[in-house]
Amino acid sequence: MISALDISTSALVAQRVRLNTISGNIANMSSLKDENGNATPYKGRSVVFQTDESVSTNPGVSGVKVDSIEISDAEPIYRYQPQHPLAIKEGKYQGYVAYPNIDMTTQMVDALEATRSYEANIGVMEITKNLGRESLSIIA
Amino acid sequence: MLNIFNQTALPALEQSAIFAQRRHNVLAGNMANIDTPGYQARDLSTDEFQTALSEAIEATRNPSPGYSSGDAADIDPMDGPRRAMENLLYHDGSEINLERQVTEIAKNQNLHNTAIALMKNQFETLRVAISERV
Repeated sequence: MISALDISTSALVAQRVRLNTISGNIANMSSLKDENGNATPYKGRSVVFQTDESVSTNPGVSGVKVDSIEISDAEPIYRYQPQHPLAIKEGKYQGYVAYPNIDMTTQMVDALEATRSYEANIGVMEITKNLGRESLSIIA
Repeated sequence: MLNIFNQTALPALEQSAIFAQRRHNVLAGNMANIDTPGYQARDLSTDEFQTALSEAIEATRNPSPGYSSGDAADIDPMDGPRRAMENLLYHDGSEINLERQVTEIAKNQNLHNTAIALMKNQFETLRVAISERV
């Protein structure tokens, strides 16, 4: 019974990591420089979930964990802004500025899904607590 | 050793409650993995468990010949259901349906709480019988 709580908790943790990456994506929607100051636009992050056998004591029952945070390698969006200080100097995209390729709608829908999964797992935890309480009521 | 509880409904109810708890763990694992790509929903087989349980109950009521009642106290009547709980079922579909999982969890909770309520009732009956005060 206790392991059901651990399993649900692993899901809550994983969904929160997912929500954090979405927040990071939306926050950086217009970031033209990366963390080292190089003039490359922000690349969207996404999480990869994986089943995790280590959380549970029953064989064959598994929780979930974040396997990795992938960095998207989609092409940036180019906007024609020849006066911009970071405009590309030469080549095919001369005069264009490279912006991050992050779609707000997609991110918000993903955030809604993460919220729904979070709530579903909280619901399961309530039921787990209820089962435990009922079992205890035999003696008390 | 004579186990007086074997004559009551308690062993069967105990197995039902344990089965419901194990199944809850498996279903909680499904909910945790609702967003994991390629995850297959798992379950414990309710039909198999119920078949084994009803067979065990029948066996205690009508012991087969060549089986003296002196032995009945030693043999674990609930061996069949205990073994039926071991097998994990994998569903074929790759999508977990949230609504179906939630319903299964609710039904399972119902089964568990019913078994527990009946157990409490059974203990209460025994207590009344022991105290000889109705």
